[in-house]
Amino acid sequence: MQATKEYRRIAVFGGIYNNALALEATLEDACKRDVEAVFCLGDMGGFGPHPDRVFPLLKAARVLAIQGNYDESLALGKGDCGCGYTDPRDNFFARVSYEYTFRKTSLGNKAWLGRLPKQRRIRLGSLQVLMCHGSPRTINEFLWESSTPNGLVQKFLRDGGMDVILCTHTGMKWQRRLPEGKHLVNVGVIGRPENDGQTNVWYTILTAGDDLQVEFVPVHYDHERLALEMEQEGLPPEFIATIRTGWWTTCMEILPAKERGRGRY
Amino acid sequence: MMSTPVAPFSYLSTLWVQVTGTWCNLQCVHCINASGPKNPWLRRLDTEMVKRAIREAETFGVKEIYFTGGEPFLHEDILELLAFALQVAPTTILTNGTMINGTMADALASLTRQTPYSLEIRVSVDDIDPEQNDRIRGKGAWAKALRAIQLLHARGLLPILTATEISHTSPSGEGGLYTRFRDFLLSLGIDKPRVKIIPIFPIGRMAGEGGSLLTEEVLRGFDFSLLQCSETRVVADGGIYACPILAGLEEARLAEESLQDSFKPCRLYHPACVTCYQTGMTCKNF
Repeated sequence: MQATKEYRRIAVFGGIYNNALALEATLEDACKRDVEAVFCLGDMGGFGPHPDRVFPLLKAARVLAIQGNYDESLALGKGDCGCGYTDPRDNFFARVSYEYTFRKTSLGNKAWLGRLPKQRRIRLGSLQVLMCHGSPRTINEFLWESSTPNGLVQKFLRDGGMDVILCTHTGMKWQRRLPEGKHLVNVGVIGRPENDGQTNVWYTILTAGDDLQVEFVPVHYDHERLALEMEQEGLPPEFIATIRTGWWTTCMEILPAKERGRGRY
Repeated sequence: MMSTPVAPFSYLSTLWVQVTGTWCNLQCVHCINASGPKNPWLRRLDTEMVKRAIREAETFGVKEIYFTGGEPFLHEDILELLAFALQVAPTTILTNGTMINGTMADALASLTRQTPYSLEIRVSVDDIDPEQNDRIRGKGAWAKALRAIQLLHARGLLPILTATEISHTSPSGEGGLYTRFRDFLLSLGIDKPRVKIIPIFPIGRMAGEGGSLLTEEVLRGFDFSLLQCSETRVVADGGIYACPILAGLEEARLAEESLQDSFKPCRLYHPACVTCYQTGMTCKNF
């Protein structure tokens, strides 16, 4: 097993989705929580306005990031975000979002995204932790709470020799505790609300101990200002409605029944 | 002579169970495995055998389980099997909806409360017009399928209307069908419309003579993870098969009993493989 850095307490967040305002609020909050490091599990772009505003904040705060499917696509100059939608309506909105981010992200920032590692391994106390974007095996695999069997989590942990897996990609936080101190934690995203009718976003604090402590932290930010910026940038009203209301309005074909049932649309 | 290409096997993500073989109470003109009520050429599966297969799949970290047929609700133990599967993984059942009444819908809703995993119900409808639909699926099929969708939705079960492209005659492309069915469901008060569209395959009642085949040359540099047969296996009458479309066909059989024995490359030998390759479709929900 290669040597990995050990931490006692860390902050981890998922997709930023161009939401520099939420990112700023998250970093400010994390500063007050006695964390040793801040990690981002990928997807800096998509959905929101002004992609280039995110990168100076990440660099100034020395956030340790990994690459998401969105980042990979932008870096490689691919034609789409790699989410794999089949519904033409979902594809339409995914394309609008991706083309905007692609056009507005500088070459330098795209290159930075290209240099990000796909995964990170650390230790939290004695626990071996794997950080990935979608799943340990595939960058764009969705791990929803209702679609991730315990048997699959155990296989991931076994195959990687890990105790804890951290992921994002779905946009909804959840955690699964398994026997012998094993965990899978989807840290959620800070880019947009998690389809619960609330305007705040979420990130995660993890603390080493006899048993891993997982704390989901809500972040309130100036969502109305973000909505106005999105309007000024001509982004779809459907996206802006999500920021203002907390309900997802597009790209929902990939939601399993339980998660779709909790949303408004 | 071109040799038949093979798709490598990566890991087991999806387990399909052809629980009633080709036994169905309908006899749709486009059925991919020519299912029907009389003399099904593939037999139903034994309940204990299905449970064994699911247990084996669990050890390999299976992510999803699908029940198909024929018509799965014809199996006398289908609720017991769904409950069993839902303790292992999110589970989907594909149905024509004709056997879903209020009592059955209540039973399905009850199952979802006993598991952390999602239950997905795919209900087959081929047209928003009852007459056009029933020309394909049989008299009365549309009314019963729509009744099922209403009953399931009323209980928060969020069915996925599944249509093939058989009635798609206009050249407007796929977008037309999604919009057509989605708007139709919304007009019925189904406020969370879910639609899946599947291409027509040259197999079963739509099998033609000959048909083009895939070649190794065509697939050079191809990402095989885009084909479901790289991560799917089907338990059906006679053994374990590469995919739900070819289930039951001798050349698609990979093993007799053990799932693990089927974890090997499969030959992309059938004209239906061309459809999968060209459309990028998957039989899964997403």
